[in-house]
Amino acid sequence: MSYSEANSSADASKLESLSKRLDEALQSLAEAPDFAKPMKLGRVFQATKRVLMQEGGCALVEQRAQRFEEAGIFQGSDWANPQFLVPSLSTFALKSPQADTVVIEAISELRLLAIAMGDYEHPSMSVEQAHHYLTQVLAINLELLFGTAGEEERESQGRLAIISRSLVKHLAERIGYEHVIDKLIDEIWRILQQRPIQVDSIKQMVTQIAVCRANPDIDLGSSGQGADRLISSLYGTTQASREDPGIGIYLERLETMDAGALQYEATGFARAMHDTGLVSPYHAVLVRHLLGHSTHLLGEALGLSSTGRDCLLCYDELVQAIVGEAIHPRTAQGIYGLALMLERGILYQPPVAPALWRQVALPLSHYSRERLNLAYGDDPSPRARLLEGVLCMLGQPLGVGQGNNPTCQSARAMSMWAYNDPDYLLQMVVWAARDDEIIIHFEGQPISSMASLSGVATSLPIDLDPVSLLVVPHLDRIYAEMGRRCVGREGDPHRWVNPEFHGWWSGRGFRINVDVATGQLEDLEDFLRHFYASYHPYYNGNQPLIHPQPAGIAVTDSAARFIGWHAITILRVTLDPQEVMRVYFFNPNNDSGQNWGDGVVVSTSGHGERFGEASLPVEQFASRLYIFHFDPLERGELATVTEEELQRVIGHVHRSWGADRVPAMEFQASTGVDSSAG
Amino acid sequence: MAKRETVNRDPNKGYVALLGWSLNAVEAADRFDRRYVVVAPEWAEAYCKEHDIPYVPWNFERLNDRSMEIAQTLQDMGVDVAIPLFEETVEWAGAINSVLMDNPRLFGQAMLLRDKALMKRRAQLGGIRVGIFEEAHDKGDVIRFLKRVNQTLLKLDGDPNDPIHLKAFDKAGCLGHRVIRTPDEVDSIPEEEFPVLMESHLDGWEFAVEAWIHNGKIRFLNISEYVTLGYSVFVPATPELEQYREAITRQIEKLIKTFDIEFGFIHPEYFVTSDGEMYFGEVAYRPPGFKVFELLERAYGFNAYQGMIMAFDPKTTEEEITAFFPKAVVDAKGVAGCFGVYPRRRVVSKLEIPAETEDHDYFESHELTPPVEETVTKRTAFGTHWGLIYFFGEDPHVMRDLLKHQEDLDFYV
Repeated sequence: MSYSEANSSADASKLESLSKRLDEALQSLAEAPDFAKPMKLGRVFQATKRVLMQEGGCALVEQRAQRFEEAGIFQGSDWANPQFLVPSLSTFALKSPQADTVVIEAISELRLLAIAMGDYEHPSMSVEQAHHYLTQVLAINLELLFGTAGEEERESQGRLAIISRSLVKHLAERIGYEHVIDKLIDEIWRILQQRPIQVDSIKQMVTQIAVCRANPDIDLGSSGQGADRLISSLYGTTQASREDPGIGIYLERLETMDAGALQYEATGFARAMHDTGLVSPYHAVLVRHLLGHSTHLLGEALGLSSTGRDCLLCYDELVQAIVGEAIHPRTAQGIYGLALMLERGILYQPPVAPALWRQVALPLSHYSRERLNLAYGDDPSPRARLLEGVLCMLGQPLGVGQGNNPTCQSARAMSMWAYNDPDYLLQMVVWAARDDEIIIHFEGQPISSMASLSGVATSLPIDLDPVSLLVVPHLDRIYAEMGRRCVGREGDPHRWVNPEFHGWWSGRGFRINVDVATGQLEDLEDFLRHFYASYHPYYNGNQPLIHPQPAGIAVTDSAARFIGWHAITILRVTLDPQEVMRVYFFNPNNDSGQNWGDGVVVSTSGHGERFGEASLPVEQFASRLYIFHFDPLERGELATVTEEELQRVIGHVHRSWGADRVPAMEFQASTGVDSSAG
Repeated sequence: MAKRETVNRDPNKGYVALLGWSLNAVEAADRFDRRYVVVAPEWAEAYCKEHDIPYVPWNFERLNDRSMEIAQTLQDMGVDVAIPLFEETVEWAGAINSVLMDNPRLFGQAMLLRDKALMKRRAQLGGIRVGIFEEAHDKGDVIRFLKRVNQTLLKLDGDPNDPIHLKAFDKAGCLGHRVIRTPDEVDSIPEEEFPVLMESHLDGWEFAVEAWIHNGKIRFLNISEYVTLGYSVFVPATPELEQYREAITRQIEKLIKTFDIEFGFIHPEYFVTSDGEMYFGEVAYRPPGFKVFELLERAYGFNAYQGMIMAFDPKTTEEEITAFFPKAVVDAKGVAGCFGVYPRRRVVSKLEIPAETEDHDYFESHELTPPVEETVTKRTAFGTHWGLIYFFGEDPHVMRDLLKHQEDLDFYV
C-alpha cells in the first residue's frame, strides 16, 4: 500500500467516524422538542463543520440534506424558507469569519443541491428553482471556484475557507463543472432579453466572469466565450475605453477628440447599450461631456431612431437638464431609460414634460433621502438616483420587478402606470418622495398611506429600483387597506380593489373561477368562454386589447403543482410570427421565463415578445388564469368556443393547480382564496 | 416544522414540580412519562406559554411569609414532589416537600444541606472524616486560621504556607471559592463575601459522586473524575479511581444515614488521600454543575434528569427504577468529558479553537462564543469559565491526558 493510499483510507475511516458523530448529533436534534432544539444546534454545527472539512464531506452532507431540514436545523432562521433566499447573499455567508454561519449556509446550499438533483422533494422548492438558484450562487462565487485564496480570506476565515471552497467546488461538480459558466452566460442573456430595470446583480456576475477571465491563474478552458459582448458592454466598449483606463483618463481623452472621433465613441456605446441593455459607466462620462457640445452627437450616443431624435430635438432643454442632474457613472443605466423614454414619444403627452421638469428639481423629504442613501449610498445624490429610476421606469415600464417581496400588486400597478398613464406615475413619485404620503380614493373614501399601518409586506423592501423603493411601501399599505375595507363582502376582494387601485381603465366587470369560501373550481366552462369572448380577437369582433388589464393567475411549478396566486397584467392578445394566437402579459416577478409544468413554458423571447413581455398560447394562458376583468358593456359571443379547445384548457387546469379543486363529492375543500400575494 | 410529540403522561405515576429554570431539565421532563410543572421566575412565562410548557410563576428569593403559598398552589394542583434544580431552590424544595409529604423533617434536612458549615458539623457528628474547618466573619479570622493551620503543620516562618480554602456558605460548587496562601492575599477578599467557611487544604485526589436515592437505597452511583478542579471532569472515571467504588459506596451510605435522606439526588465531593482515606468535602442536593448530567447521558445513554425525577417521585416502583439505570462503568459506551475554558492572556481579540483540539478524534463540540471585551478580568475565584468544550471517546486515560493538555492551550487570542 502506498503512502497516499494509506492516507486516503485513513481519511475514509476518519470521515466514517465523523459521520457517526454527525448522525448522533442530528438524532438528538431531531428528537428534541422545538423549544429545546437551539441547545442541540451547536453540536450539529460543529460535527457538520468537521465533516465538511474532510474530502467527501460535502457529498455526505448532501445525502443527509433532508434529514438536516427535518431535524429542524433551519427552524426560525432565514434559511427556513429556501424560496426566499437571495443568491447574492451567499457570498457574505460563505466568507463569514463565523463558523456557524459558513456551516449553515453550506448545509442550505447542499440541501438545494439535493433538491436540484431530484433526490429531495421539497414542499416549497422545485427542481428548477433550486437549479436556477444554485447556478446563480455559483456565478456570484466564481472566485471561490477558480481563484486562489487572498490574504484577506486567510486572515478573516483561516481554515473555514476550506469549507466554502470545497462546497462551491462540489456544487460545480454536481451541477456540471464545464457548463457552469456557459450556462450562466446563457442565463444572463435570457434575463437581459427581458430588459429588467435592475441590473446590478447581472453587472456583478458579468464583472465576476471578467475578473476570472483576466486572471492568469484561472483556466476556464473553452467556456466563457459568449461573455465577450457582455463584458465589452461594461468595460472596454469603445476605442478610447478599450483597456478600462479609468474615468479620469477617459475624460481627458474625450477632451482632445474631434467631432469624428466623438461620433465614433457615441455610436460604439449606443450599439452596445441597445444590444445588451447594459450601460457602461464610461458611457455616462461621454454623455455628460456631450452636454452643450452637440445635440446631434447626444442623439447618436443615445442610439435614437428618427422618432426619438425628433423628441430629443423638441425637448432639448429638458433632456439637457435631466442628463445634468441624473446621469453619472454610477447611474449610467439612466441613459438607457432616457433613450427608450424618448423613443416612446410620451413627452408629447401634455403633462409629462412639465412633470419631468418638476422631477428634475424635486426636493426630497428627509425620510426619502435616508431610504435612497441606505439602498444606494450617497454618491450621486438621492435626487439623481431617483431621477435615474424615473427614467428607467418610463423607458422600460415592463422592466419593473418586485424584488424578493410579496408586493406583486404594487409592482404591477407602477408598471401599468408607466406604460399607460406616465404623468400619474410621476405624480405618485412626487407624493411619495416629497410628501411621504400617498392618498388614493376607494369608493369615494380617501385612503392615506400614512394612516394604514400594515401592508402585505411585513418589512420595508430594500432590493428595488429607486422609484419602487420609495413608492411601493405606500402603495402596499393602501392596497392592504383596500382589502381590509372589503372584509365581510361576499366573493373575492379583487373585484372592487383592482379597478380602484389601478385606474379607471381596468374593467369593472369581474370573473373568478374559484369559489372563495371553499377554494373549489367554479363555473370553469363559463369563465373560459367569457374570457375568450372578452379578449380573444376571434371571439370579440377582432378587437385588439386597448388598455392593460389586471389579471390573476395560479402559478404552478415545473411539476404543475400549485404554488400561489399571482398578479399580472394582460397587455396584448394577438397572433405571433408562427400564426399562433398568444397572450402577451407582464409578470412583476423578476424573471418571467418560468416553467409552469404540464407543457406550459412561459416564453420571453422568440415569439414576438417585446422587451419585458411574457407570452403563452391562449389555451395555455387560460389554463392558469383565475381572475380577469372586463368591460360589462362589451360582452362578446359566449358560446362559440369549440368544445375541443375548451376541453383542452380544462384538461390543463385539472392536471395542474385545479387537481384538488375539482368540486366532486370525494373532494373536500382545503385551500381558500384569500389574497393574491405575489 | 416537526410537531411536538405528545408523550402519554401516566396519571398513576407521580406529578413533579421542577424548581428553577433549566432548559435541559424541562426537555427531559417533557419527553418523560410523568406529569410535570416548571416553577420559575416570571421572566420564563412568555417562553413557557409560547412552547406549551406547564408553568407556575414564582420568584425564589429568601424564604418568607409567602412561602406557604407556593406549597399550597402545588398541593392544590395535585403535585406529589418538588425537585430542586439549583442550589438556591434546595431549601424551597425542602419547605414545599415538607407540606406535600406532610413531613416537617424534610425542611430541616434541606437547611442542613444548604449551609456548608452546618453540613460539615453534621457529617462530623455522623462519624465522617472532614478536614479542619472554621467559620470566618472577617479578614482577621482568615489570617488567624491560615497561621494556625500552618503552625499545626510544623511550618517555620518563611516556609511556603500550605493554602487554605475559602467558600461561601450557601453557593453552588466553585462559586466564591478562593485559595489563600499568604496573609497579603486576604486583602483581596471583598467584605461582602463574609461570612465564609475556611478549610485546610488536603493533598489528595478530589472527586465528586452523583447518587440517585430511592427508598433510602442507592440506585445509581457515578464517580466523576476531576482532572483539575474547576477546569475539567469526565465520566466514568479511570480504573485507578474506580477501584475505590466499594469504599466510596460505603461512604455514601454513611452520608445517607447521617443526613437521613430517603429519596432524591445527592452530589457530594470527597478527597481520597494517598493512604486511601476518604475525606468528606461537601454535599449538594441538586444536579451538579459542569454539565455532568449531559456527560452521563452521552456516556451511558440514560437521561440523568429523568433518573432524578424517578428518584424523587414517591410513586416510582421498585421494578421501574431498577430497569431504568444501567450498570455503572460496564454499561458505558465510552468516556465523556468536558473542559472549561479560561482565557490565558490578559488581552484577547478573538476566539480561535486550536486545530489540535478540534481535529482530535475525541472532540465533540464546544459552546464558546467570541469575546465581548478585549481585556480579560483577572480571575479571583473559581467557577467563571467562558464556556465548555465536550469530548467523547473510548479510553479514560486518553481522555484524562487530553483534558489536562487543554490547560496549556489558548482558545482566546
